Amino acid sequence: MLEVKGLSAFYGNIEALRAVDLWARAGRITTIIGANGAGKTTLLRAISGLVPVRYGEVRYVGQNITNLEPHRIVKMGISHVPEGRQVFSSMRVEDNLLLGAYLRSRRRSGGEIKKDLQMVYDVFPVLEERKDQMAGTLSGGEQQMLAIGRALMSKPRLLLLDEPSMGLAPLVIRDIFACLKRLHDEGLTLLLVEQDAQIALSVSDYGYVMRAGKMRMEGEARELLGREEIKSLYLGEEAVEGEEGGHGDKI
Amino acid sequence: MDFLGNCPQYIANGLANGCIYILVAMGFNIVFNSTGIINFAQGEFCMFGGLLAYTLAASLGLPLPLAIPLALASTAIIGAAMERLLVYPLRRAGALVAIIATIGASIFFKSLGRVLWPKEAYKVPEFTAGNISLPGATVSRQFLWVFGLTILSVTAVYLFFNHTKAGKAMRACSVNRFAASLVGINVMRMSLYSFVLAAALGGLAGLINAPYASYSMGLFLGVKGFTSAVVGGLGNTFGAVTGGIVLGLLEELIPGFLTVVLGVSTGYKDAVAAILLIAVLLLRPQGILGRGVVEKV
Repeated sequence: MLEVKGLSAFYGNIEALRAVDLWARAGRITTIIGANGAGKTTLLRAISGLVPVRYGEVRYVGQNITNLEPHRIVKMGISHVPEGRQVFSSMRVEDNLLLGAYLRSRRRSGGEIKKDLQMVYDVFPVLEERKDQMAGTLSGGEQQMLAIGRALMSKPRLLLLDEPSMGLAPLVIRDIFACLKRLHDEGLTLLLVEQDAQIALSVSDYGYVMRAGKMRMEGEARELLGREEIKSLYLGEEAVEGEEGGHGDKI
Repeated sequence: MDFLGNCPQYIANGLANGCIYILVAMGFNIVFNSTGIINFAQGEFCMFGGLLAYTLAASLGLPLPLAIPLALASTAIIGAAMERLLVYPLRRAGALVAIIATIGASIFFKSLGRVLWPKEAYKVPEFTAGNISLPGATVSRQFLWVFGLTILSVTAVYLFFNHTKAGKAMRACSVNRFAASLVGINVMRMSLYSFVLAAALGGLAGLINAPYASYSMGLFLGVKGFTSAVVGGLGNTFGAVTGGIVLGLLEELIPGFLTVVLGVSTGYKDAVAAILLIAVLLLRPQGILGRGVVEKV
């Protein structure tokens, strides 16, 4: 569904991504794991047109979407749940969700938009309870649900998720991932970026490991979970965190 | 003369000026909200509104109901051109660069105005001439137009931003530009719309601010409008209303008090805006109705 080939992107003169290859297959959950600063967020942003791609190519259902404007990419069916949720904090919860459907014409698909809103409320009932509250007053977990709900309102075929577990309590993380699993069962393709390798790989079909702007490893998620180097580097021990300093360090 | 006896007249004059300031202040707010920049050429939009209305109605002899919409539309087109030729190309350069560029645009517009309309003042036709006597005060009939059109504009702007899809999208840009582009809002398109709207509001302020218009009026109205926007709370529609009325009233009442009670010259009228601006920035930088800038890290 989504294919990334030899992609490089820069922040100023620093190469944040170096010749990255990735394949997210339709109907699957693909995960990219890696420590802070590995380039995972940059990769997702390059896919959605938020960070310019210097070299390489992004293809989506056979079409070249490299460096298209973000709104065109949303229109093609890719929706991005950003790191840190980024809800419209001083707007109502329901307005946040309706803005997610911004590119869909209300005249042509007003009924469908209503149905999708109800679908989001069914997946996240707490959002319906709080639909008239300002989004900024929600808890972290609720804001994450709102960010996912907003992304769903554009009726995507591919959902990009950047660190949905960030800053949330373990129980809330379990809820969110259960919902993601449910969305996947209903036919959505997911590309997930996570620091929490354990939970990410346990729901995924396929996984990539990123480090210092490069893909270092890939494989079936179950198989990656069993590998010794993954266990020691990304599952459990926090001690390795300091090793990943800047974007461009040679290892 | 007694000060209290003159108060109704001061208040009437203050409200009339305040209405003009409100329109200019809303222009500052709309551009600030969707682009994050202060457009220092906002006052020049007023100049174009007033002088184009003069040219269309007084020199070309078009009837007012035709001349006014034409003047507003032309001003809106000038706003659109400014956005496309100046702000859009600088979109990656940062807000400060764009703000400095708007100062350049303001100087350019003013010079252009001076070339096209070289006289010191042009008489812009009033919508309806004549005065009305109220108890304790006399106001021009034009004042009723100013008052009515301001209320109409404020209501329209409020409804637009809170109850229409395009308006909510523009608000979304002001709340979180990054997220706005993620949901597919074309952020630069919203920037264009905001300049069109701000230019039209500025043009309206300039042409109802009868009876006179000149190439140099932009600075004066720009400063007053900017002060009103900041005093009320930058970016806030009701802040613009509050700021405009507070400034309009103080500008009449303070010099009135100084002249009548203390016998000091009235030459200080324009200093009121400067003092008010400094006082608000020192004591309540977020403005009267502002909630302050909350940054979550």
